[in-house]
Order: sequence, then C-alpha cells, then structure tokens
Amino acid sequence: MKELDKEVKVKVKRFSEEKGTWWQEYTVKVDKYTQMTEVLKRIKEEQDPTLSYRASCHMAVCGSCGMRINGAPRLACRTIALEEVDRTGSDTIVVEPMDGYPVLKDLVVDLTDFYNRMYKVKPRLHPSEDVLKGKSEHRLKPEDQSRLWKFAQCIWCGLCVSSCPAVRIDVEFLGPAAHAKGYRFLSDPRDTSFEERAKVLIDSAWRCTYCYMCYEVCPRDIEPVEAIKLTRTYTTKFGPTGDASSFGERHSKAVEESIAETGMLQGGKVYVKTYGLVNSLISMIELMKDGKATKLIMERQKKVRGIDELRKLLGEKQ
Amino acid sequence: MEKLNYDVVVVGGGLAGLMTAHEVASAGFRVAVLSKVFPTRSHSACAEGGIAAYMDGNSDPSDSPEFMVYDTVKGGDYLVDQDAAEILSYKSGEIVRLLESWGALFNRQPDGRVALRYFGGQTYPRTRFVGDKTGMALLHTIYERVSGLNVDFFSEWFTLDLLVTDRRVTGVVAMEMKSMSPATFGAKAVVLATGGNGMLYQHTTNSYINTGDGYAMALRAGAALKDPEFVQFHPTALYPSDILISEAARGEGGILKNNKGERFMTKYAPMKLDLAPRDVVSRAILTEVAEGRGFPGGYVQLDLTHLGEKYIKERLALAVEAGRNFAGVDPVKEPLPVRPAQHYYMGGVDVDVSGANPDLPGLFAAGEAACVSVHGANRLGSNSLLETLVFGRETGQAVVKFLENSKEVRDAPNPEKVVDDAYSFVKRESGVHFGEVMKELRKTMWEDVGVFRDEERLKRAVSKVTELRKTAVNMYVTDRSKTYNTEFFNALELRNMLDQAVVIATTALNRTESRGAHYRLDFPKRDDKQWLKHTLAYLRGNTVEITYKPVKITKWMPEERVY
Repeated sequence: MKELDKEVKVKVKRFSEEKGTWWQEYTVKVDKYTQMTEVLKRIKEEQDPTLSYRASCHMAVCGSCGMRINGAPRLACRTIALEEVDRTGSDTIVVEPMDGYPVLKDLVVDLTDFYNRMYKVKPRLHPSEDVLKGKSEHRLKPEDQSRLWKFAQCIWCGLCVSSCPAVRIDVEFLGPAAHAKGYRFLSDPRDTSFEERAKVLIDSAWRCTYCYMCYEVCPRDIEPVEAIKLTRTYTTKFGPTGDASSFGERHSKAVEESIAETGMLQGGKVYVKTYGLVNSLISMIELMKDGKATKLIMERQKKVRGIDELRKLLGEKQ
Repeated sequence: MEKLNYDVVVVGGGLAGLMTAHEVASAGFRVAVLSKVFPTRSHSACAEGGIAAYMDGNSDPSDSPEFMVYDTVKGGDYLVDQDAAEILSYKSGEIVRLLESWGALFNRQPDGRVALRYFGGQTYPRTRFVGDKTGMALLHTIYERVSGLNVDFFSEWFTLDLLVTDRRVTGVVAMEMKSMSPATFGAKAVVLATGGNGMLYQHTTNSYINTGDGYAMALRAGAALKDPEFVQFHPTALYPSDILISEAARGEGGILKNNKGERFMTKYAPMKLDLAPRDVVSRAILTEVAEGRGFPGGYVQLDLTHLGEKYIKERLALAVEAGRNFAGVDPVKEPLPVRPAQHYYMGGVDVDVSGANPDLPGLFAAGEAACVSVHGANRLGSNSLLETLVFGRETGQAVVKFLENSKEVRDAPNPEKVVDDAYSFVKRESGVHFGEVMKELRKTMWEDVGVFRDEERLKRAVSKVTELRKTAVNMYVTDRSKTYNTEFFNALELRNMLDQAVVIATTALNRTESRGAHYRLDFPKRDDKQWLKHTLAYLRGNTVEITYKPVKITKWMPEERVY
C-alpha cells in the first residue's frame, strides 16, 4: 500500500471565542482508505492539538462528525480523503463547520436547535397500556418492519437540517430529520397516539419545498423528503391543521381537478382554487406590475387528446 | 464551583446507563445522566449483530435457558460467575420483549414474531437483531424512551473524578465541555456506565471515545478492577480501517479463507468451524498469517459471496456498506479483507450481580464498565447488548433499594482539588503533548499485551507503561481556549488510559495460564488448580496490588473447552 501514500492539503476554517475566525492549512499523508476522521485525528495528534472537532464511531452510526467538506454537508468518517481529491481535481480539501448552527469552536457546532426539533415530534413509541404492562405482545409484519426501519435509522447528525433551505425561512417547519422521525411513529401500527402526532406533523409537512437536499446529504439514505410526502397523504383523511396544509390540500385537489378536466395544469385556475379569489386578485395586481400576468390570463382551456384515458387512470387511483 | 444535588448520578449515556436511569427515574428518584457525548453517540450504537435471548414460545424447540447459561459459561472458559450467567439468561426474553414494547424494530418472522439467528458459541440460534445495526436501533429506542421521563441529561459533560467522603461515594466532579466550567454533582449513589477502553490498542473496533474513563475513576477512588487482563479481540475487523464486520456475517454463513483459498477453521475448531468463539478464531487468523498463509499486510478473507445479493443486503447491510465505503470491496461479489482487532473488555469495575461495588458503598457500575463476571475470560457475541440491558436494569433496581435505606451524605470536603489536578496540564508552560504518549501507549498494548502474550512481552509492557505514566505527569496542553477545548479533554482521557494500562499489563503478567482471551505462549494450557479465580487489582500510586476472589459455580463444573 506504500505506493499509494499521497500528500493532501487540508484547509480548515478555524474559530475560537478568543481569536475569532481564521483559515489554517495542514499537510497530511493518506492512502486510498484514509477517512477524513483519520485525517483530522492525525492533525490533532501529530501537528496541531488545538484543532477541535467531534468524532466517535468512524463507521457512520453515531452521527458525531457532521461538517462541510469541499462545500458539501458530509460525515467526515464517510468521506475518503483521496476520493475528494479525485472528485474535485484539487489536492486541497476544504473543511468547515456545518452550516446553519452556531459555531462553538473550530468544527464543533451547537446542535441544540436540531435536538429541540427532534423532541417536538415526541420521538418515542406510545404503545398500548397492555403491551407496556406485559399483558399482551406486539406483532409486526416483516414488511412493516422494513418500511419503518428505513425511516428509523436517523442518527441525529444534523446534516439534513444544515442543508435545508426551508428551515431557514420558515420557523413553523420542523425540518427533515424530525419529519422522518415523526413519520416513523405516525405510521407505526403499534403506536396509540396518531391524532396527537398528526397535529404536530401534517401542517409542517406542507412547508417543505421539495428541494431534495436532505435526500442528497443523508448518510443513512433515509430520504426524509419521502417521509414528508407520505405524511402529506394523511391530510385528506385527518384534515388540514393549519394554513400550510389548508393551502396544500386545496392545491392538490385543484391540480387533480384541473387534470381531470383538461389533462393540463391550468395555472390560473389552480391558483385561484388554492388561495381564494381575494388573495389571487392581490397576487395578480402584483404580477401585472411586473408584467408577468399575461400568460396566466391568456391561458387556453383546451382539453388534451386522450383525456378519456387520463380520466380512467385518475378513477383507478381512487 | 457550582454545586448540584441528585439522588443518583449516572456517568455514561449508552444502553447500560440509560437503562439504569430508566429504573431510578421510574421509581421517582432524581437522576442526572452525565455523558461526554450526546447519548445517541455512545459506543452502544456500534454493536451490530444482535442481542441473545431465550424467548418462551419463540426459540428453537430444543433450546432452554439452561443451554444459554451453559454456552455462556463455556464460552467464558469457566471464569464466569454462574449465578450471574443465570440472571443474564433467564431474564433475556423479558428484556427483548421490553425493548420491543418500547418500539425497537427487530427483524421479524413471517408471523410477526421477533426473528432469530446463530452467533458464535451458541448451541441453538438465539440472537435477535435489527439488520446489522442492532446497537444503534436499541440505543435510539431507549434514549427515546428515557428522554421522555424525568431525567436530567448533562450531555457533553466530562466527568473528572468520583468524590469520596467517609469511605463512601458521594458524587462526582464534572466539567461542561462547551463552557469548560466545572461543577460538583452530589449524589447518594454513582453509577459508572462509561463503556470500554478500546482506544488503549492501536487496532480496535471501538469508537474514539472509548477511553475507559470509568475504570480509571474507580481505580483512583480506591475500588478494584476485576479480571483486568481479559481483553477480547474480534476476529473480523475490516482491513485496514478496523471497522467491525459483525459476527453475524459468519452466523449467516460467511466463511473465512486463507491465501490458498482454504477454509482454515476446519483445523482449529472442527465442529463449530467459523462460528467458534472469538478468542479461538482470532488466534486461528493470526496463526495463519504468521505461518505465511495470510495476504500481504496481514489479513485473511471473509467470503459471503455464496449467500446471494438479496440475503446479504437484507441481513448484513452494514457489512456491505463498510466493505464498499471503507475497503473498496463489494462483499456481494468478492471476499472482505479482515484481521483481528481489540473489541471488548471483559474486565471492569468489580461489582456483584446487583451492580454494587464491595469496596465503596454508593458506587455502582453497569455494562462494559462493570465486571459482573457474566463473560468470564471471553464474551460470546450478542451477550454484550444483553448484559447492558439486563444488568443495567438490575443495577437500577438495586440503586433504588440502596436509596430507600440510605442516609443523607456529607459533602465532599475538597472537590476543588479534582479540578486543580485536571488543570495542572493547562497551567504548565512546557512538556509532552498527549498525542506523543498516546501513540506509544497504543502500540505497546497492541504488540505486548495483545492476542498472544508471554513473560518477556508483558514485562516490557509493564516497564514501558510505567515510564509513560511518569512522562505523562508533565503533559502540557497548548490550547488556551476556554470553550470546547478538546485537547484538554484528550489529555485527561490519556491520564485515564495510562491508569488502566498499567493494571492490565501487570495482571496479564501475573496470570500464568491461558484462559479464553488471555493467551500465554509460555503457559498455553488452562490451569484450574491455580487459576480458577478472579483477579482483583487495586492501583496504589505506581503499585498494582493484586488479590483474588473465587469463581461462583452453581452447576457447571469446568471441562475442556473444545469447539
């Protein structure tokens, strides 16, 4: 393996309360197996003991080592140094603390906000009293087990929230990890508090912008956005629980009606059905000021060819 | 210094600590859980293959809890306290049911019951599992449960030392890592659930946080470590990163092969083959490598390819992930490169089956931090998760009883000294850095207190570690930062590691026999006449004091251990 030894430069964004922010560069020898956690460990043990970072299991199950590596939110342990060099074509690997959380020191950030999001969804099973007292036993279908396990594998690393644009602009949005966790219990057939969970989750689910960043960055492939989509499907059954879910529910109905009617998305009509006439008029005035409204107003209501086939498909869905 | 008061302080937020906290909080007592990491980052998360349990109506029809006791006793090479193994076995089913009732997503059989599989040293299959991330699944389940109770969590608080007043434990001194401000936690009982100490070894499957802080704190407070010489090496750590490839890989049918493609375990364990206990397999692998039948770099191959892609992905997802990400090998298509690495510490704070330490009233320990003597000289796979929960619960219940009969305790007279001692490293103007000493320590332990031991190596280790302890007195922390100064905490961890290392090396030199994971090339046979007894070791300054305690035998008389 010796011949694979290669030098890489690691540029770290440092911070301490006393000194503020600065960049520091280190040179480290690596081979094709060297994880970024090992790179940081070597820096700390051999070159600069003042570098602070979190890391523990180095096998992507503890969720300690979330940080930005070459601009992307990653677990350091899941990042092989030379793969980064290959990917970017640069010998320098840039390491920064995770975005979106206050920095405490160097690569260590304060995750309090993340944890609070998790606690909001009451992240624990509420089994029936009989089961808790040992009087009866849960059974769980293998397919339910694997379906739930997908969403239960969250390791609370915080990367998804760090990468989520919606949590930054919408205080009502719980964020991706909490939704994955929330859905995992909402849809667990052993749980007894569906209503309570639905109240917490449904409206927030409609605040996601479907940008798929959480899907992109999750080191455990949980696909929180998938949990959010599935949570939205409960809206019809449970009813909206706030503004976002009211609009959301009306919007999806309007889209469906529009497609059933013409086979096309009639933007103007959908808008009016979603936001109501008054709001739509206000929006339209805004749009006219910008000269963008003509297209909406001029929209033709022609049906697509094969509309009958389409309606048949929609009927099948129901 | 700030002073907080609780009925109980639990140090460590892994499975054992959380289970103890659950019992204490459920009984209405005030409990604080101190952990140097956020609880779900504890090393319990790394346990992969499963948790052993005999479940009534959901086990092999020929199996019984008695067989489970027997397997555990034999696996531990008869250094197991059999009353402890009985508790472990007879309460295993209810513990799995309890975790299931709290929402743990165990793999299921078609009829909805919890599934099971084989693990090394089991007469019948008993291991219950959540894919190969069982520890992660159970840790999150129990944290979710306990975080809903009335428990105060002090996450990222580093515990410096125990407080002892009037010859009993009365609390701890700990420091918030973020603000670096110390506080005393007065308590009538302290439970050490600080996990293992894999970082003592150059090659380990353990997390970076596993520095055995609890062992060192107990030693410094005057309590004994029991059976400190027994260190388990897991046979299949991924080469070269030492990431654990679960024993489940062999439990599901994986085969070890040397560079000639031979299934070499036929030589070492003709009956159990690849599913012989870990000590046996680890020695077999290193023997193959030493005799020239390994691969360059010193590893053998673990072949799963015949199991089929679907089966491997469903049951051994983490092995696939680890192989692909960390070794560039797809186990579905080619064998994994594996070699032994330190994995588990059978030794620990001396406690009885209630988790209580006999030296210091008020001191309890649970999980890997404790030595209840359920694992003896070698732990069976999937018995560690079980121990954390069964004895975490036993300990919690014992603590509750202890509190009911406990008087108010006096405050420790001089907690400031604990902080001053810790800060001596920071105040110093020059000296060695923790990294230099740490590297030498881990190398020494790996080479001289490892899988194969003999007098020469162990003597060398004792003198080397003693020398390193002297050097470390002059440790110097360069980072003057007053927030999250990890160099400072690393220095304290190293101090803890050195205190244990000297005890481990000394007791390994002292035990002139081979038993389970303690294998002496110069004494290759087990010697029941002389050595069917537990080691108890105290640390007095630079001296390790050794005494003994008999092994509790209820019905299984020692016999030759063949697999």
